[in-house]
Amino acid sequence: MASTVSTQLDMGDIQGDILFAYGNDYVCTSYVFVNVEGADGRSWLGALVDRVTSARPWPKDPDGATIKRDTTLNLAFTAAGLAALGVAPELLATFSSEFLSGMASRAGELGDVGPSAPSNWDPGLGTGEAHVLATINAKRSDLLERELTAFREHAERCGVTIVNEQHAELLGGQREHFGFADGFGQPAIEGVSEHKSVGGGVPEPDGRWRPLAPGEFILGYEDEDSRVDDEQRLPSAPATPLGRCGTYMVYRKLHQDVALWRKTLRDAAHGYEGGERKLAAKIVGRWPNGAPLVTSPEDEDPDFDPTQAHSNDFRYLDDDPDGRRCPLGAHIRRSNPRDALGWEGLDDAGLLAFRHRIIRRGMPYGPPLAPNVTADDGDDRGLVFVCFNASLSRQFESVQQQWLNDGNPFALGDDRDFLLGDASGSGKMTIQGDPPFFLAPQQSFVTTKGGEYLFAPGMTALAALADATESGL
Amino acid sequence: MSNTAGQAYAFLAMTPIVSGEEDGLRAYIEGFAQTRPFERLPRTHFARLVILPDWVNDPSQPKEDHLHSQYLIFSTTFDGPLDSYLDELCDRMAPECKEVWGRCIGAPRRTRGAPLKNYLLHNQIDIGFFVSAYPHASVEKVQSVLARRKQLTDFAVRTQGLDPSELRHAYKQEF
Repeated sequence: MASTVSTQLDMGDIQGDILFAYGNDYVCTSYVFVNVEGADGRSWLGALVDRVTSARPWPKDPDGATIKRDTTLNLAFTAAGLAALGVAPELLATFSSEFLSGMASRAGELGDVGPSAPSNWDPGLGTGEAHVLATINAKRSDLLERELTAFREHAERCGVTIVNEQHAELLGGQREHFGFADGFGQPAIEGVSEHKSVGGGVPEPDGRWRPLAPGEFILGYEDEDSRVDDEQRLPSAPATPLGRCGTYMVYRKLHQDVALWRKTLRDAAHGYEGGERKLAAKIVGRWPNGAPLVTSPEDEDPDFDPTQAHSNDFRYLDDDPDGRRCPLGAHIRRSNPRDALGWEGLDDAGLLAFRHRIIRRGMPYGPPLAPNVTADDGDDRGLVFVCFNASLSRQFESVQQQWLNDGNPFALGDDRDFLLGDASGSGKMTIQGDPPFFLAPQQSFVTTKGGEYLFAPGMTALAALADATESGL
Repeated sequence: MSNTAGQAYAFLAMTPIVSGEEDGLRAYIEGFAQTRPFERLPRTHFARLVILPDWVNDPSQPKEDHLHSQYLIFSTTFDGPLDSYLDELCDRMAPECKEVWGRCIGAPRRTRGAPLKNYLLHNQIDIGFFVSAYPHASVEKVQSVLARRKQLTDFAVRTQGLDPSELRHAYKQEF
C-alpha cells in the first residue's frame, strides 16, 4: 500500500471550508439558494468567481498571526443548476446518479418520510428550483448583512432569483441545540490533517492509525481504492474540467425538537440510575463537552479539550466491545464505528468502515430554547448539516441508511439511531448494562426540513462554468 | 445447477418482446411500484422484472453483437414448489400477466392459466447458483418472527424496572 500520495493537493484550486474549516472566528453563516432560469446565469456567476474563497492558506501578519477575511463566499451547484447554466447533457451525465437524481428523490433511502418527507420541506428545496447555493460566512452579523445586501442586489440585476435563504449562527459555548459540543470528530486526511490521525484516521489492527487518502473527499486525487489498485486509478469523477478539485456536498436543514428531547430525557431518567445527564451522554456517546464515554465512562472530564492531539484516541473493540461504556447504538458509534465492526474482511481492512467517512461542516440555526424549558415555544431551531464527500452513495448515504437508520450492521435488530434516525423502526434504544436499560419509542427529535445534493467545483472549474466561450462547456 | 435452496425456489424466464411494445411494457411494469401486484402472491420473497435492451459490447471485441429483439427477464424467489406458484401467478395476477406477457413473442393468445404457465416453463432458464437469505424460513415464518420480536421488544420496554415476581407474572400474561 502506498504510504504517500503521488500528487500534492492544489489548495489554490480547492474551495475553502472543505479540507480546512474556517473556524469559529466566523460566527454567522447564510445559505442562499438561487435559481438562474431565464437569467444570465453565467454573467452572474462570472462576477462572483473572483470572490470565492479557496483553501489557500490565510496570509499572516508580521507577528505570525493569521489574517482571515471578514467574510467568505463559496458556491455549489445542484444538477438542475448545472443544466440551467447550460452544461451539456453528455458532460452532466458524467456526474454520479444520486447527484443527478437529487436528494428529494432519495427520500426513501435516507429515511425522509412522514414529517421529514420532501412534500413538507421548506419552499425552494427539493423541487428543482434551487440551482446554486452560495454560502456566506462572516465574523460579525453586520458584515454578513453587508455581504447579503450586495449579493441580493447583484442577483436582482442579473435576473437571478433567491428561492431559499437560511441564516445560522454559533450558539453560546459552541454547542448545538441539544447542548452538545459538535464538529470536532473529523477524518484525518493525508497532506491536510495527518497530525489528527490518532483517533481521526483509520484504525489498524496493530494499534496504529493512518490518515485517509485525500481522494475520499476531493476528486482528482488518489482515494483508498487507488492505493490498492495496481494501476492507481483515480476515483470516478465528473469529466474535465469540472471534476478535478471538486467534491459532492450535502445540505440538510434539520429541525431539532429541543423540548421533546428534554422531556424524553427527564421522563426516562426516572428509571435510569445514572440520571438525566448520563442518559443523554449514552444516547450521543459523548458528554456535553465532547468527552468520549469510552475514555470517560462515569462522568464528564472537565479538562477535556477537543483541540488536543489525542483527545479522540479511543477504540471500541479492545476498550468497549460490548457497549458497557459507549452503547452499541450510540450516535457517535453508529456514525463512525472505527474498529467496532471487527477486522475480518478484505486485506484485514475490517469491514471497510473507513470508506464511509465524511467531512462535516454546519451551523446551528434558530434561537436557543430557554434552559430547563420542556414546552415547545414554536420557534424553528436546529442544525444546518453540511458534509463533503467524493461519493454521495458510498459515504453520506451509507452512513445515513446503513448505520443511522438500521440496526443490522451492529446486530441491533430494528433499532435506529435514537438521536437522529427515523422513527419507523423499533424506536427503542438499548443502553447496555446489568440489567440493560431501554429507552422507549418516541417521536423523532429531528425532522428534515429540506435538503439538496450539490457539487462544489474547484476554482478552475468555477471559472470554466462562468466563461462558456473560453471553456467550451 | 440448482433452482432451489432449502425450501426456496428461484425461477427465471427470458421472453422476447414484440417490436414496438418495449416502451409500453417498461411503463407498465414501472407502475408495479404503486400497484404492488406481487402482494397477491404471499409466498414471494423477491421478484424482479428487467427489460434487457441489448448486449453490452466491449470496444475491444472484433465485431459488435446485438440482440434481435429486446428481452423481458422475469426472476422470482418464493416458498415451496414451482408448479403451484406458477398456478397462483397465472390466476391471481391474470390482468397483469396479460399486460406483461401479452407483449412478448410466442405468448399464448390466452395469457392466463395453463397456456401461460406452459409458456413460462418453456422459456425457463435453470439457475447456476442460488443463495437464499432464508432458505428454510418461509415468508410467513419470517413475518411471524418479526412480529414476535416486536412483541418482545415492546414487552421489555414496558416492563423494565419491575421486580422479578411482577416480571414473571407479566411475562406469563403476555406470552
